[in-house]
Amino acid sequence: MTITRGLVYALLLLFAVMALTPFVWLIAATLKSSGDIFTYTFFPPLFKGLTLSNYRDLFTQEPFFRYILNSVFVACAGVTIQLFLSSLAGYALAKYSFPGKKAFYLLMLGTLMIPGQVTLAPSYELLYKMGLVDTFTGLLIPGAVSVFGIFLFERALQQVPDELIHAARIDGCSEFRIYWNIVMPMVRPMVGAFCLLSFMGLWNSFLWPQVLLHSKERYTLPIALSQMVGIYTQQYGMLMAGTLVAVLPVIALFFLLQKEFVAGLTSGAVKG
Amino acid sequence: MKARPSYPFGPAALVLMVLAIISGIAIALTPPPKKNATLTFWTFAKPHYESYLKAVPAFEKAHPGVTVDLQLVANNGLAQRLQAAFQADLDVPDICEIEISSAGSFFRGPVKNIGFVDLTDRLKSEGLLDRMVESRFSPYTSRGRIFGLPHDVHPVMFAYRRDIMEKAGIDVNSIKTWDDFIRVGQKLTIPQKRYMLEMSSTGTDQLEAFLFQRDGGYFDAQGNLIFDNDVAAKTLQWYVPLVAKNSKTRIGNTLASSYGSVIAQGMLNDYFVCLVAPDWRTKGMEMDIAGIGGKMALMPLPAAVPGGRRTSTWGGTMLGITKHGQHQDLAWEFAKHLYLNDKDLAARFEGTNILPPVRSAWQEAPFKERRPYWSGQALGEKYAALAPDVPAQYSSPFISQAKSKLGEALIASVQYYERNGENGFDAFVRKTLKDRANEVRRQIARNPY
Amino acid sequence: MAPVAKAAPPRSRPGFFNRPQNWAPYVFLSPYLILFLIFGAYPIIKSVSLSLYATNGPKDAVFIGFGNYRFLMGDADFRTAVWNTLVYTFWSVVLQLPASLGLALLLNQKWVRAREFFRLAFFSSNLLGQVFVGVLFSVLYQPQYGLFNKFLSGITNGGIPIDTKWLNDPNLVMPALVLTSLWMYAGFNMIYFLAALQAVDQDLYEAAQVDGANSVQQFFAVTLPGIRPVATFVLVTSTLGALQLFELPYLLLGNSAGPNNAGLTIVMYLFNNGFQSGDLGYASAIGWTLALGMLVISLIQVRLTGAAKGSAA
Repeated sequence: MTITRGLVYALLLLFAVMALTPFVWLIAATLKSSGDIFTYTFFPPLFKGLTLSNYRDLFTQEPFFRYILNSVFVACAGVTIQLFLSSLAGYALAKYSFPGKKAFYLLMLGTLMIPGQVTLAPSYELLYKMGLVDTFTGLLIPGAVSVFGIFLFERALQQVPDELIHAARIDGCSEFRIYWNIVMPMVRPMVGAFCLLSFMGLWNSFLWPQVLLHSKERYTLPIALSQMVGIYTQQYGMLMAGTLVAVLPVIALFFLLQKEFVAGLTSGAVKG
Repeated sequence: MKARPSYPFGPAALVLMVLAIISGIAIALTPPPKKNATLTFWTFAKPHYESYLKAVPAFEKAHPGVTVDLQLVANNGLAQRLQAAFQADLDVPDICEIEISSAGSFFRGPVKNIGFVDLTDRLKSEGLLDRMVESRFSPYTSRGRIFGLPHDVHPVMFAYRRDIMEKAGIDVNSIKTWDDFIRVGQKLTIPQKRYMLEMSSTGTDQLEAFLFQRDGGYFDAQGNLIFDNDVAAKTLQWYVPLVAKNSKTRIGNTLASSYGSVIAQGMLNDYFVCLVAPDWRTKGMEMDIAGIGGKMALMPLPAAVPGGRRTSTWGGTMLGITKHGQHQDLAWEFAKHLYLNDKDLAARFEGTNILPPVRSAWQEAPFKERRPYWSGQALGEKYAALAPDVPAQYSSPFISQAKSKLGEALIASVQYYERNGENGFDAFVRKTLKDRANEVRRQIARNPY
Repeated sequence: MAPVAKAAPPRSRPGFFNRPQNWAPYVFLSPYLILFLIFGAYPIIKSVSLSLYATNGPKDAVFIGFGNYRFLMGDADFRTAVWNTLVYTFWSVVLQLPASLGLALLLNQKWVRAREFFRLAFFSSNLLGQVFVGVLFSVLYQPQYGLFNKFLSGITNGGIPIDTKWLNDPNLVMPALVLTSLWMYAGFNMIYFLAALQAVDQDLYEAAQVDGANSVQQFFAVTLPGIRPVATFVLVTSTLGALQLFELPYLLLGNSAGPNNAGLTIVMYLFNNGFQSGDLGYASAIGWTLALGMLVISLIQVRLTGAAKGSAA
């Protein structure tokens, strides 16, 4: 028994080391001067010669703060809009019966089957005609409702007891108020999971912004970083610093929402 | 039921919303600087960008009220964005530098729809064609019209480790032909530890230079695809055994990158004796591999046949003026200010080591300066001496497809050679080149414009 | 307006507008519906027609019928892209799912301490976008000086040479991609498996123990059937995700398809054609071909796992 336990711990530790080593290397790389970056595998002995110059270069040679600002705006605004509209639609499907409900389900299932890349070209053409190329509006509006999110909320909201909604209605609550004040606070785990998933999706999104954004002052972090790879080929330390800064917010949000995330994400899937 | 004033999605979602509002306000309050500059200029090369920054004040002083906004844009993004902007009528810069391998893609479609201003008449009437190295206009010419001003000549030499050569008792001047070079290379190459020359078995950078050296290339002056002709087949057959894994004559290898810390570490560890060095690359070496200063020197390429051409070309940049711009004449003035002023070119040469195509500039002092890093050689003179021999390369909208297909042919030939050696190699190389070339021809035939 | 027509509808559904719960769902769904019609339905229909044109940016188009699809069938680069995408999908799914399940089984031991830490450690790599992972791993895979080669060459005592060019050797690009995706995604699916394992009925294990089943037999008799719905879900979503691979190779290979197009994927080919050459029509044709392929593959998967259901039970 103890041998098994030892083995399990050994494997867990081994895999944890494998999972985390690139992060440690990344942090070390951002702190080494360009001469040292390949000289020492991780940190130099006694941490000699560590420097913040990569970070200084990052913020002085590039408008990196602007990129962060853009990414924060796009991701946060996107999550806020998606959260509201998707949960609203999910609520409608979960708790009302109305003519045409089946049609909505079919429509949504149908769109889930078609990958986004199919419409990449015509969407670009459409936004060009609407004058929305190279705007944040163009970036956010087409994805303002997530069909995936509607399904997640539809699932989660099934579990809200109908009696509660009836009682509220008898009390004279408006339909929107029931959704807003009574129903949504009951599915916090799903809200947490959706926030994180949607944030990750928007924060890491590359293809659509790459196609749509043209001006440097509107670049989000993935676009900016992929462009910087082309310019600063020599400056690995600075590129790594950019990478680290770009991934920190997601990690922070994950820490914040970890519990809800695991609970919310898996509640739907397990019931499958 | 009492209405609570709280946000129903919980504190984390609230934080995200507040952040969205704050960042939205911050973005709204700091709008990008209004495009009030008279001329906007895009370049993709950091050394260019840094040196042009110094040239702007003089131009602005000579043209009161005129401002120039220089922007550094990554090369991959630049070509794509400019292409899309031309196609979709978006904001484009007034002047733009384009990398040689992207230039051809702008010449798709009818001549009148090309997004750049036709410079042919200006060049002729101002007598500029005669002042510059003629072969450098060819990559930026489409159907007889010139759309770009060449920034450089980019002759190619070998940068070599003088100390290693001397220690081995090799007189570099005795290396006159490729046969000489390969003989020396076999002596100096120690598998896995040291290679005579940085040469790729998967990428075409070096193969392409040696193909140009032999008057081969991707397209001829008429725009016909020619990388499956006899010259190409012979060059590839000669090249492959120099890089194939089990080959007895192997003298070449590469690291993952030809730039930055990777190549620097390689040179410091004696991994390479020689690098194929166009002028622009020597600056990178001076900066990244400062540690081997004084041990480096330059030599001309060995000739393919006795008395043959001792150089080639690698890379290039054109300057184009967009039709979209409001101030095309002013843009032309600025282009000439950057590209044709001998004194400025000389100063810029000190910063970039790039030989300008304007012959008169080569007489300036910095070109004759002896460089300690290069064991006291006068780098400018060395490159200038080779400039007249630099081979022409011709453009096509399909240049990038051709490059990628030549790369495939190289890889296939290396794999064949590693398995079968010389057995049937000649026929294989010719067939592979023909097949790949036909794939490009199929693409070309498809373009309805 | 005719008074008769005007009067009819309200009477046919008395009180429809008086009861908010009748019309509220339509209001709640209207943002979705409006956005869908503009940015979903229109582009989908448009992409069908666009795929019949040869285009040069959004302004110029020449009708060529099924020319794009015909050309696609004989396009050597598209064949390469399809092959690479399928190879990647196969290997990433075949390696990832057992790895995820393995991690979940390890973590599911009741007595394991610091479970939160391990879960976070395994999951953390999934938080990074493919772009960022691509930039990071392009440095880790460096020959001679990269972490990966230092490690591999160290443990194999040079058996894997330190100057192995993972990203420059056409034969190694795909293994490098698959390994990177394993690092990225193993922890994500682990979360699903972990939840599934915890939901398996504990009584079944006790019953199996009573029957004298050892832990391997328990795994096949109780655990696997218990997590099958989740496994199917994970299989299908992982496959669909893998078929849409783009950013990871694009960034890993320095904004290119790599040597010999060894990292060219279907979506990358779509992007290159549509937005680098400006041929939006050809890009649409590639998109529809991809959509069809994804549909067929996921139907096959659901069919196969559904068939397995009958025999296993």
